[in-house]
Amino acid sequence: MFADVLVYGFIQSSALLLMAFGFSLVYGVSRLPNFAHGAIYVLTAFVAWALFNQVGLPYPVAAALAIAISGLLGVLIYYVVLRRVRGMEISEVIATYAIGLAVLESLRYAGFRGTSYALPALSDGVVFIFDVPVDHQRVWLTVLGFTMVGAIWLLTRYTKVGRALKGMAQDERAAMMLGIDSDRTAALAVGLGSMLAGVAALIIFPLGSLVVEEGYKVLIYAIAVCVVGGLGSWAGTVIAAFVLGYSQYITVFYGKPHFQMVVMLLAIIATLIVRPSGFFGKQKQLEERV
Amino acid sequence: MTGTNKEQRRKERIDRGIKVRSESLYAINSWEEISYLVAPRMLFIGFFLLMPFFLSHYPYWGRVGLSVGILALLSISFDFLANYVGLVSLGGAFFYGVGGYASALINTELGLPPLLSIPIATVVGSFICTAMLAPCLPLRGIYFAIVTLMYPLLMIRLIEALDIFGGTNGFRGIDGFGSIWIEQYGLVFGLLLALFGLRRFVNEDAGLVIRAVKDNDQSVRASGISVTWTKTKAVFLASLPGCFAGAYYIHMYSNVGISSFALDLSIMPIAATVIGGGGTLIGPVIGAVLLVPLSEFLRDFGSLRIVVYALVLTGFVVFRSDGLMNVISRKYQQFERWVKI
Amino acid sequence: MKKKSRVYVSFLAAAFVALTFCLLPGTASAAEPIKLGAPLSTAFLYGWDAERGIKLAVEEINAAGGVDVGGVKRPFSVDVIDTRDLEPGVPVDDAIKAVEKLILQKDVDFLVGGPVRSEAALAVLDLLSKHKKVSIVSTGVLSPAYHKTIAKDYDKYKYAFRISNELVNIIVKEIMGIFGKLRTDYGFERVHIMVQDVAYARKSGEVVEKFLKKAGFTVTGHEIYPTGNTDFAPGLLKSRRENAEILFVFMDMPETAILLKQWKTFKLKSVPFGFMSAAEQPGFWETSEGNCEYAIVDVINGGNAPADITPWTMKFVDAYKAKWGLEPEGYGTSSSYMAIYALKDAIERAGTLDSDAVVKALETIDLMGVYGRIRFDPKSHQVIPSTDPAEGAVTGFFQWQDGKRVVFWPDAGATGKLQLPPWMKK
Repeated sequence: MFADVLVYGFIQSSALLLMAFGFSLVYGVSRLPNFAHGAIYVLTAFVAWALFNQVGLPYPVAAALAIAISGLLGVLIYYVVLRRVRGMEISEVIATYAIGLAVLESLRYAGFRGTSYALPALSDGVVFIFDVPVDHQRVWLTVLGFTMVGAIWLLTRYTKVGRALKGMAQDERAAMMLGIDSDRTAALAVGLGSMLAGVAALIIFPLGSLVVEEGYKVLIYAIAVCVVGGLGSWAGTVIAAFVLGYSQYITVFYGKPHFQMVVMLLAIIATLIVRPSGFFGKQKQLEERV
Repeated sequence: MTGTNKEQRRKERIDRGIKVRSESLYAINSWEEISYLVAPRMLFIGFFLLMPFFLSHYPYWGRVGLSVGILALLSISFDFLANYVGLVSLGGAFFYGVGGYASALINTELGLPPLLSIPIATVVGSFICTAMLAPCLPLRGIYFAIVTLMYPLLMIRLIEALDIFGGTNGFRGIDGFGSIWIEQYGLVFGLLLALFGLRRFVNEDAGLVIRAVKDNDQSVRASGISVTWTKTKAVFLASLPGCFAGAYYIHMYSNVGISSFALDLSIMPIAATVIGGGGTLIGPVIGAVLLVPLSEFLRDFGSLRIVVYALVLTGFVVFRSDGLMNVISRKYQQFERWVKI
Repeated sequence: MKKKSRVYVSFLAAAFVALTFCLLPGTASAAEPIKLGAPLSTAFLYGWDAERGIKLAVEEINAAGGVDVGGVKRPFSVDVIDTRDLEPGVPVDDAIKAVEKLILQKDVDFLVGGPVRSEAALAVLDLLSKHKKVSIVSTGVLSPAYHKTIAKDYDKYKYAFRISNELVNIIVKEIMGIFGKLRTDYGFERVHIMVQDVAYARKSGEVVEKFLKKAGFTVTGHEIYPTGNTDFAPGLLKSRRENAEILFVFMDMPETAILLKQWKTFKLKSVPFGFMSAAEQPGFWETSEGNCEYAIVDVINGGNAPADITPWTMKFVDAYKAKWGLEPEGYGTSSSYMAIYALKDAIERAGTLDSDAVVKALETIDLMGVYGRIRFDPKSHQVIPSTDPAEGAVTGFFQWQDGKRVVFWPDAGATGKLQLPPWMKK
């Protein structure tokens, strides 16, 4: 009983972290809310599926190509949409959200619905952890999830590009004075965030089949992790993913599966009411409250 | 410099004389000026009063006409909150659903006829919405947008999870209007009342305070007026048309369900407002008049409908269009000419 | 200036005239087709297979000369509209508007097929009585609430019929029968129930639990999943700890595939059994990579998978294969096909398209169809069920075995026997 919750809660939390990470990165670094995050997540999976099954590329190539495409799409969204409305947060939200909506609904219109689409798992089989059966894909999910978060953390800390990203987050004007190109850095951030969404999709989707609705769900999960953890806080994002992941799993295990989403929505609303900067956020209170 | 030998010109806009003259009380001196003021309004009111007549021969388009009214009300609510109070709500469906469920319960539980249950549900629903949104009112900008986006979703999930109000089934057996004339004109009057009521209100003293919250809330606070309380009042006013639309709609189709909180109902008003021209209150109505028939034509294409308005919405937002109403009123009130620089 | 305004005026006038012509209702003529409206959630199995069943029947009837309406031969024409009602979130609203559009704008004479989701079909009942349109529901809509609502307020809702089988009967007569078979053959006693959170599925979960307990089975758990749920691990792990031997699944969402996948990877010592719309399709073997093997699936009406129920069954299966290039895929196919033939029969006996006359004719129908004898209960307008095709409409159950759908129930149409997964054999 307890072991089930421990093991699967951990997996659920890692999955949440993966889903939210790209969104959190983009908002934390460039202050750009990319509400097309969920759509990119789903789109990458379908692109990988199409390249693998329709075009016939070997899966690793198809996956790499799909991730590259999602990165390009992120850059494109920045240059075509976000750059024109930069600074007007509401317009950024509405425009990216509408783009996400358009992508998801066109996928649905194009006929990508139902059970017929699935991505291959990295490896098949089951391992027993504390006598709880866990399939290999879930093990991969946790391992890759943490590797990715660690890698990005190192990137922002120790490389020039990463420092530029961080610098932009801290003080855009000062960063620009030091010769950091604001547009290029922001585009890079959105592209990187989209690629992370793509990677998450390719790791998580093999657990089930590809469905368009996941896009909406992932966006809400990402917002929840981000809001609870505090925008732009690394530790906050990780801790929030675990708090939310475990509370989701526990409510589902002891209550009804319906509460999975209720937990997230309530967490968002409650956090914004009580502490809008999130529980680990570094922003000042005054900025978002009057 | 390539343009040195070419004349540099720019467009200049100047108010028409008739606009300037008709701004003062002396407008009543001349028929021309009176009609300059009254004609556009009469055209608009006349359009809505005559529409049910024309559409009564085409029952299907009659129903579409009703949908126009419903969307127009939701769009007015969005426009008022976004452009007069500065609260961008991504959850118009919340007002709509609360109004719908309230009216359904009043009608089926208390047995009140639609003509009573709708107004009661409008007021009661608005109180409920305001009370539920009140804790979020100190938020602004993107945070208010996110939190309102979550409200209707939360309502759906709560109704599902707790199995209240008929759960995923919703419930049926709600009274209809009986006559299509009552049905059509009830909505038209509701719409005109909401529209002209709010237009009048924003120019009253209380309206000025609300608008000041949007422009500079610190100055409002400095004047000793509570910003949050002012916003609360504004949210109540914005809830009224939203709840009315929801309450009205469920009587049109005699049933209510969780689709009253559907995402479309939050997105379409935004699209209508952006297309029609925000900050005018009339604009959103014009947007609804254009959007709903378009979406009906696209109904046969399933989800393509949503793709179309999502793209239109993005286009208008990204290219920062003023919207139709702002363009029209500029043409009506001003003339343009090219001047040398 | 003057010239310009004249251009405007003439343009406006032209637009107005054009608009008026567009909106003018068409005039009726004698040899005009009988218009059928099919509100279906076409993105989903129960929508598209019903659409194919309807189109097949219409094509056959039109090729044979059409419908004899009081001496005049008239063909059928079909307007399919997407109701989207099977999508997550239960968007009943779209379904109502779609049906309204069929009635008011497409001006259809009869409705067949859906709406598919019980909630939507119930919501549409008021619309049918308002416009006095006869409707035969033939796919989705399994909830007993449907025919009960009709029976309770017959005068108001008498225009609605349902030609597909209804749940309570399926559960009491068929599903319980299979539970009994599993008990006598393999000694299975412990059942874990997993259903989707939509009206008819929830109701079935409750009814099954009640009957299982009455029959002396142990119910180890009862999970309800929201539409679109993608992780079934918590429930499956619970069933594993409780040593459940049968997983009773009742879902119409595509995510059921995920459930079966997780069941297979965990190698649970239990047999999935029940109503799984995703697992009905012949193509499911490939998309699930064989994960569905040993799952026992209910396809509601016979003839939705190849079987030998009446002489018409295989004829229908072959005709379907010839037209659409694959076997009938699942629930909604044979019943939608039969709905058209039932309507033809009723119209010909009524001799008119008048709604009330057709209702009377449908109430007295007696037709040997694809899945047995078709008769409607005159009070509730529900097709009369039976396990004997000579008596009423029969249901069908199959098990996935080595890429094939093997029908093992009822005995009348069986093509094979039940098997257990190898990891369950002691």
